[in-house]
Amino acid sequence: MARFLLTTFILLTTFISYAQKKFTISGTIKDTATGESLIGAAVRIQEISSAGTSTNSYGFYSLTVPEGEYTLIFTYIGYETQFQKISFHKSQVLNIVLNAKTDLQEVVIRANKPNNDNVSSPQMGVEKLNMTQINQVPVVLGERDILKTITLMPGIKTAGEGNTGFYVRGGASDQNLILLDEATVYNASHLLGFFSTFNSDAIKDVSIYKGGMPAEYGGRLSSVLDIKMNEGNNKDFTVQGGIGLIASRLKVEGPLVKDKGSFMISARRTYVDFLLKASSDTSISGSSLYFYDVNAKANYHFNDKNAIYISGYFGKDVLGLKNVFGTNWGNSTGTIRFNHLFNNRLFSNTSIIYSNYNYVVQSFQSNESFKATSKIMDVNLKEDMQYSLGSTHTLKFGLNILHHDIAPGDISTTQVSSFNEKHVEQRYGYETAAYLSDEWKASDQLTILYGLRLSGMFLLGPGTFKTYDAAGNTLTSNAYGSGSIVKKYFNLEPRLSASFAINDENSIKASYNRNTQNIHLLSNSTSSTPTDLYVMSSNNIKPEIADQVATGFFKNFKDNTYEFSAEVYYKWLQNQIDYKDGAQLMVNQDVESLLTYGTGRAYGIELFLKKKYGRFNGWIGYTLSRTERKFDAIDNGKYFPARQDRTHDVSVVGIYRFSKRWSFSGTFIYATGNAVTYPTGKYNVGGLTTFSYSERNSYRQPSSNRLDIGATLEGKEHKKYHSSWTFSIYNIYAHRDPYTITFRDSKTVPNTTEAVETSIFATLIPSVTWNFKF
Amino acid sequence: MKTIPLYILVFFILLSASSCDKVIDLKLGSETGELVIEGVITNVKGPQYIKLTTNVAFSNTNTYPPVTGAQVTVNDQAGHTYTFTESAAGVYSISQLTGTAASVYTMHVSTNGKNYTASSTMPKQVGLGSITAAKNSFDSDNNKKKITVHYSDPKGVVNQYKFLLYVNGVQVKRVFVNNDDFTDGNYVSFDLIQDDIDIYPGDKVTVEMQCIDKAVYTYWLTLMQQDYNGPGGGVTPSDPPTNITPQVLGYFSAQTIQTKSLTVKE
Repeated sequence: MARFLLTTFILLTTFISYAQKKFTISGTIKDTATGESLIGAAVRIQEISSAGTSTNSYGFYSLTVPEGEYTLIFTYIGYETQFQKISFHKSQVLNIVLNAKTDLQEVVIRANKPNNDNVSSPQMGVEKLNMTQINQVPVVLGERDILKTITLMPGIKTAGEGNTGFYVRGGASDQNLILLDEATVYNASHLLGFFSTFNSDAIKDVSIYKGGMPAEYGGRLSSVLDIKMNEGNNKDFTVQGGIGLIASRLKVEGPLVKDKGSFMISARRTYVDFLLKASSDTSISGSSLYFYDVNAKANYHFNDKNAIYISGYFGKDVLGLKNVFGTNWGNSTGTIRFNHLFNNRLFSNTSIIYSNYNYVVQSFQSNESFKATSKIMDVNLKEDMQYSLGSTHTLKFGLNILHHDIAPGDISTTQVSSFNEKHVEQRYGYETAAYLSDEWKASDQLTILYGLRLSGMFLLGPGTFKTYDAAGNTLTSNAYGSGSIVKKYFNLEPRLSASFAINDENSIKASYNRNTQNIHLLSNSTSSTPTDLYVMSSNNIKPEIADQVATGFFKNFKDNTYEFSAEVYYKWLQNQIDYKDGAQLMVNQDVESLLTYGTGRAYGIELFLKKKYGRFNGWIGYTLSRTERKFDAIDNGKYFPARQDRTHDVSVVGIYRFSKRWSFSGTFIYATGNAVTYPTGKYNVGGLTTFSYSERNSYRQPSSNRLDIGATLEGKEHKKYHSSWTFSIYNIYAHRDPYTITFRDSKTVPNTTEAVETSIFATLIPSVTWNFKF
Repeated sequence: MKTIPLYILVFFILLSASSCDKVIDLKLGSETGELVIEGVITNVKGPQYIKLTTNVAFSNTNTYPPVTGAQVTVNDQAGHTYTFTESAAGVYSISQLTGTAASVYTMHVSTNGKNYTASSTMPKQVGLGSITAAKNSFDSDNNKKKITVHYSDPKGVVNQYKFLLYVNGVQVKRVFVNNDDFTDGNYVSFDLIQDDIDIYPGDKVTVEMQCIDKAVYTYWLTLMQQDYNGPGGGVTPSDPPTNITPQVLGYFSAQTIQTKSLTVKE
């Protein structure tokens, strides 16, 4: 594969050098005040409407055009547009700084051609969120949260109230690849899902790909959530933070060497446990319940051609009851990246990435004492290249080798314990990938982004590897030596998306992509738990495969103030996983014998209307969709609705700037209830009322709806510091959103049964946070 | 080990003060009139019962129509056939059958022109050591108690256990099962964690311990897992896998039983 890439590359380069006399302009685009590089800023040439590019993850751009006199236009949302006249007779470097818009300028009519990226870019099925907006959306208990805010976009659905899990276009929650500075975050939730692991203070850019996935991403079926941390201010030291009802946070950033390097450290901790300590009930006061996380990043630019970025994340949750049980879990990630500019057209990034997720569950009761541990650890080496091939082609290609080390479960005990020591064999494997993609501006109107990704999975020894029949009985059992290949899978994943611009304001796009997944989360619980178990594709588990086609209409109007899009998708899923009855997944050597396999399909339409600028802005999203699964063992192999099948899903977000100091926001959501299985009868066995069921998920939980509001009061302007208050009320009309419905013998009327609805937040929840910056 | 999700669940219910329950009206379908067979052969001398009923709609009272006039027999592996007679409507019994360890029993039920069979192996009895009451760690201040069962699991043999808990003669509505995946060969203390009936000093508590075979264990484990339907857990419910063919609701179990009682002290 590597040789293939190289050959293609050389051929293309040779081809270009014989063409017309062209030069390259390249550089970086940064924020004037902080020196943070701007990701996805657009670079256009006024005189050649088809020429244009945007900055990559490191703020770098490169554009090759014939010589001439040009006006370059640099635009980025929330920033003033900059025009630069150049006399273009040799290749040159042009570094640009853009000024963030102040509030007053926001209403000024924008000159010339404003950003219409969503219409002109061939990329579809992508949502980019602006951190300013995320910070204004009201959330429960005042902890702003990226994962909760993205579920307000069409096609992305929350796994439930008080749960940071999300479903994208009918996929399961483990089919989302969550990347923090390129490192996989396996469990993105704190406190069993009430909060996400992402501290908004430390986050610079959030993009989620729902479809039309670019070839540089792979490894999961449904989506990629690509989160990038702030680099740190390279001009001045700043300190900012917030004090909230349940958590406080602090961020420090500043230059390491002015204009050359900077650092950022951001930390957060909850203090519910201090409140618990005050409880008069000794069983509550003796319990622990908190999480903390730390994000840190530093970068140094040696010169115009070389830069290094080091970033890391560490988070931990602790939950326990004194002398009874304790559990803690957390992610840690580390990324070292090295940017090198071979020449002004060829950009390279080399990354070494570490990711670790582990949990510990402990019981302290003397006769039941045990300690169960589990971990998944990845080391990943990635090489990504970007090559600007004339004004109409941008090539991206790269290689990726990821090593998994999974310890599914170990139990250690004491002498007096009821429990035995137990060890489930550690598993090792490699996920590898090579990709090549090209963004080709075929004409003024047609842009095509096409690519190919080859993914390989190698499951390695040492260990004993079994195969099982459908009933779960062992068929074969073979021992493999260290490093020998037990099973390998290769998959070719074509990716294609194209946009056809009808004019500046309207376009039609279409895409097809295939994705495969070789690491699978096993969990027969319906919500997120810390005891996640990951397994690789093996003799029994085949790679999951998804094929998706999508098409859409994109429109901007009123000078690009409004954005509208309508996308339709259809997705086929293969090798999906479900569990047999009574499956005991924890610390089980034969866990693969408990699985059954099936297929799935998902389709839907997503409508999105957004007002981008002005005192009043926000969006409305609507999704009409269906998600189904099919397993031989369930309902005689008929399609049944997946739990996350939600026919209607509406979200409305509005932000209104009332005055210089006050702004208000509100979100409203409505969603069809989950597809669930309810009893269709009852009987008695073992002295207990027992329920009988017919078809899987043939009922609907009651629909959910909720209105949240928020207000921000900016402090009086002051030279040295800035402060603000954020107020929010979650669930303002105290709607009872059903969390779960259980069936039981009635507690009031003897000899009958009743259905009981449990809600997590059945009341309105006010909160207040004080933020500061100096 | 299987109690961990329950710990986390109870913990969260304790903490999420704003979470609340409400009885609601739901329109549920009704697929009723399906045959339910519950057959149990024990190692204790006395009548053995096989009960035949049908299921009813969720909105009905908990009374289940008996299925009368069925032919019910049980064979043991020595070739004996025991014929059960209908002692009450839908209740088929026999007095002169006492199960013995390691024997395979096969049930034949014939009703409405259909024949149903199931086999179960009576496990070797493991002695019920003792039962104790201790402070309930989740609500120690109110003097609530939890019940623990103690027994010695034999080494190198696969064992499955089921427990019934009665408080002042009322059965606690929870399924308690355990196997020796994690405890083989040990002195086991198994907590009967439940939130159905609060236990206080002065209460009379009785525990029945059953040794059951693997298929019956999977049946009950499936039901037990469906109990944890609150925050932090819960599986999609379905009818548990029965050992009766053709498939009906219910099960057939050859099991050992022993009981111990205790009056809870301060």
